[in-house]
Amino acid sequence: MSPETGPLLEVRGLVREFELPGRTFFGPRRFLTAVSDVSFTIRRGEILGLVGESGSGKTTIGRIVMRLLDPTRGQVLFDGLDLTAMKGRKLRQQRRRFQMVFQDPYASLNPRMRVGEIVGEPLLIHGLADSPSWRREKVARLFDRVGLSSHDLERYPREFSGGGRQRVGIARAIACSPDLLVADEPIASLDLSIGAQIINLFASLNETERMSLLFISHDLSVVRYLSDRVVVLYRGQAVESGPTREVFAAPAHPYTRLLVSQDPAALAEPRNGESGSSGLCSFLPRCPDALPVCREVAPKRSEVDGGGREVVCHLAFGQASWTPSSPSPSIQGSA
Amino acid sequence: MGSEEALPLLEVRHLSVSLGTREGEIRPVSDVSFVIGKGEAVALVGESGSGKTLTGLSLLALFPPGARIDSGQILFEGLDLLAQDPATLRKIRGQRISMIFQEPQSALNPVLTVGTQMRELFKSHTDLSDIRIREVVADRLRSAGLPDPGRISRSYPHQLSGGMRQRVMIAMAIALDPRLVIADEPTTALDPTVALQILTLLSSIRDGRTKGLLFISHDLSHVRRISDRVLVMYAGRIVENSPARRFFGTGPLHPYSRALLASRPEGTGRTRKDAPLPAIPGQVPPLWNLPEGCAFAPRCSRADERCRMEAPPWQSEGEAGALCFYPDRTTMGAPLHVA
Repeated sequence: MSPETGPLLEVRGLVREFELPGRTFFGPRRFLTAVSDVSFTIRRGEILGLVGESGSGKTTIGRIVMRLLDPTRGQVLFDGLDLTAMKGRKLRQQRRRFQMVFQDPYASLNPRMRVGEIVGEPLLIHGLADSPSWRREKVARLFDRVGLSSHDLERYPREFSGGGRQRVGIARAIACSPDLLVADEPIASLDLSIGAQIINLFASLNETERMSLLFISHDLSVVRYLSDRVVVLYRGQAVESGPTREVFAAPAHPYTRLLVSQDPAALAEPRNGESGSSGLCSFLPRCPDALPVCREVAPKRSEVDGGGREVVCHLAFGQASWTPSSPSPSIQGSA
Repeated sequence: MGSEEALPLLEVRHLSVSLGTREGEIRPVSDVSFVIGKGEAVALVGESGSGKTLTGLSLLALFPPGARIDSGQILFEGLDLLAQDPATLRKIRGQRISMIFQEPQSALNPVLTVGTQMRELFKSHTDLSDIRIREVVADRLRSAGLPDPGRISRSYPHQLSGGMRQRVMIAMAIALDPRLVIADEPTTALDPTVALQILTLLSSIRDGRTKGLLFISHDLSHVRRISDRVLVMYAGRIVENSPARRFFGTGPLHPYSRALLASRPEGTGRTRKDAPLPAIPGQVPPLWNLPEGCAFAPRCSRADERCRMEAPPWQSEGEAGALCFYPDRTTMGAPLHVA
């Protein structure tokens, strides 16, 4: 066993670019940067919320952590092991320890398999329950754990409602007792009265089995309820991160402030042509509080009040224990 | 004031619609009655399969194949829509009542530019000149919060973002200046910040004293922002009809409405360390296998033998009402959905 000291998951300087289609034969290749220099850690037994709108890169990050997608640059360290450099048998051995719950329980379960087989499959693959009777017993226990009945074992996914299917997906994910669950919008496609049941199930898995959770969502109030710490993404950049309670009580980044205030009037529409200005703050085109310096220099990550809070914004200057690494002469120049 | 003035914009009376399915005959809309007044925004809340979308479509007298209207009237400005011939209905749809759909991508024609689709509306419903139509199209796009109508007109739907497509849908829905707009989950497919902008836009639609809005949604925080009155549907029936101020203030009357509000962590400031979310146990019953008595009884904390045996009565209290033997008249504790 590895020493239980370091973080369970450490994501360092993650970058992911996708090549855009429509390149002519001799033309330049064009890239979209979906994730741009994102770093965060998840401690053992911790729930980390990853918040952002569509296109913010949150799903891409989840897929990279799961090794379903390779990063362009950067590292993913799982329990001190560099997952990005790992492949083959070694990676398969580790896979047991991090599992995913998908957004759409209608698309992520094989319709031709009985749900008992679906949940038993990872046990078989990882050689954790080779005898059929033992496997059956383990699957029945998993069903009980996620709130399904053992009478359901022989049924097919289509016979379940959305909430029931999501429970099957969670039972499959926890079958091999992983250390980390990655859940990408797990309640977004569920019914109103079912979402709370699933949230409570995640909280209980964290509480009793000490499973860590990377909870990816655009639902701020659920993230606020469930997660210990939060990372706020905007267009591929982690603009703010820190303990959930503090980030929500006093958001430091204008984008987080906007999300928390829920005030549509505060949101400036992106102006034409500005959205693609690379190198500068990604939020600049919509920022209601932009300073002249924002149009000159990209903001650096800085710490707010210690306590593990970080923000990437020029406005944090002055209100935080932040010192510029180099003077910004453009402040006077463009004012 | 004449009698014309005193009429509500829309009145649905005891509407019941049946559908034949593989599992047998179901009744997704069962004895539904409600009123939308002039200048009023009414929200219709429910989970999937509760009948809210079919209720919305029936206000346009649009029914899926196999649907049968068992009873009821839909009076739009005094005119019973269910008794009109197809030609009259075509004139009413789009011109007097229009609809905004959840997924604008599938409601817009992918091979025509936005401008072509919008001009088509005016060509088929009005006799404006081409030049005048262009002006009006630009004007509607601008009112829907699209500042560059020229560029948007030349665009195909796939070239626009989800929020912009929804704005185009709204521009088309308000194009002919209808009296009633039905918006079916218009914010569900959108990012939270964009959804808020769309809500602001929608609430501006019904400004004035003549227009009405039916906002169909499952998101209570959005409902709170936009509605004057809240209808809650469960298993095909309207189980609550209360003013929004009461619904989100002292709290709704029906235990299901209360449980829905309580199961969301909004505004409570609680975390998982404090307590589990008060989830509603069980699941929505399928329409082909409804329990005896009240459909919510198996999941209800207030239910007793009577609820499981007899159909509950409609009980009113002031302007609020619920389909329940034991409506909850107490004041809800936690601050609700404080943004």
